[in-house]
Amino acid sequence: MSDDRVADLIVAVSASDRAAFREVYAATSSKLFGTLLRILGTRSEAEDALQEVYTRLWLNARRFDPAKGAGMTWLIAVARNHAIDRLRARPDARMSDDEDALDNVADDAPGAENRLLALGDARRIVDCFGTLEPDRALAIKAAYLQGRSYQALAERFDVPVNTMRTWLRRSLLKLRECMDA
Amino acid sequence: MTDRDPVTPDDDADALAAEFVLGVLPMSERVIAAARAKADPAFGARVVAWENRLAQINDGFEPIPAPNVLTAIEARLFPKAAKPKRGLRWGFLGGALSAALLAVVVMISDTGPQTGPMLTATLTEAAQPLSFAARFDQDAKTLTLIRTAGTPPAAGQDLQLWVIGAEGTPSSLGLVRDAEITVSAPMLAAGLILAVSLEPEGGSPTGLPTGPVLMTGVLTEG
Repeated sequence: MSDDRVADLIVAVSASDRAAFREVYAATSSKLFGTLLRILGTRSEAEDALQEVYTRLWLNARRFDPAKGAGMTWLIAVARNHAIDRLRARPDARMSDDEDALDNVADDAPGAENRLLALGDARRIVDCFGTLEPDRALAIKAAYLQGRSYQALAERFDVPVNTMRTWLRRSLLKLRECMDA
Repeated sequence: MTDRDPVTPDDDADALAAEFVLGVLPMSERVIAAARAKADPAFGARVVAWENRLAQINDGFEPIPAPNVLTAIEARLFPKAAKPKRGLRWGFLGGALSAALLAVVVMISDTGPQTGPMLTATLTEAAQPLSFAARFDQDAKTLTLIRTAGTPPAAGQDLQLWVIGAEGTPSSLGLVRDAEITVSAPMLAAGLILAVSLEPEGGSPTGLPTGPVLMTGVLTEG
């Protein structure tokens, strides 16, 4: 047993332990539903996605390696990946919502950052976001928290896609330098 | 930082891993990056490192009480009432035992003269341009899979068809290289899940899905 209960449960699920599967659902479904809803925007799609994410957990739990990261981190990565796959495969119907949604990220940011600040671990990323230009830090958060594509970000910031990509790649490497320092 | 793009191969690969984790790539590049993360351990490690770095933003996702979909998920993963012909209740049996019995039970029901109804499944996923229709002929024990929408994957990749057994273990039914394939599938029964995953060319090297499961469908009578 480790001090990462979710990791222990995922390892048990990889051995086809159904009780562990129920327990990991009870322990994590609120967080994953919040993640999926934030990215996908509608309860019905988030609910479909939630079923798919736990189906994948059952099928793919053996891919989780507790030596490489926390159980909850892995689950959120599975959920975000699935939600973003859904977004990228959509026709561009929801593009027009992007501007409002991005404004919401800006509005939410103080609240989200206050929550981050409450955690010792997160302090580093908050500090490191502070080293980036504010627009680019906002673009990274919008991409991570809401699944915005390069296309959507370029439209929002009114720059060509390639420019947005160059900005973001550079900012991400700068973020890495700061966080790994 | 200079104003130039990162030019070292390491920075280039690391920026791609970050873009993949962030989720900003268009679908075509995203699928390739996902495949690379599975096939190339060094790139996979970069992806994990970025997942861990950016996980510090996860507090920005507020927990929201989830609708209770656990029952539906379990019904999908652990079908048990689907083969009531002989009154067996596989769900009450242990894992390995149940799997071992599966083959036996299917053989027993083979001996009967019954002509079962056709089993069908629709394999779709809300976000997937690809979809398939499946039809299982219970007399011939063959499964026919027909692509009903979408296009085959890019060169270097294959779609692979799986059946998810009663204990949630996937078994390969073969590669999906044509718009219509027919495979021998004696183990199929109503309630089992079919899944299609994206794999490296030639199919999964491990015998289990290694790429993303693109879509699933449940075999039902009718």
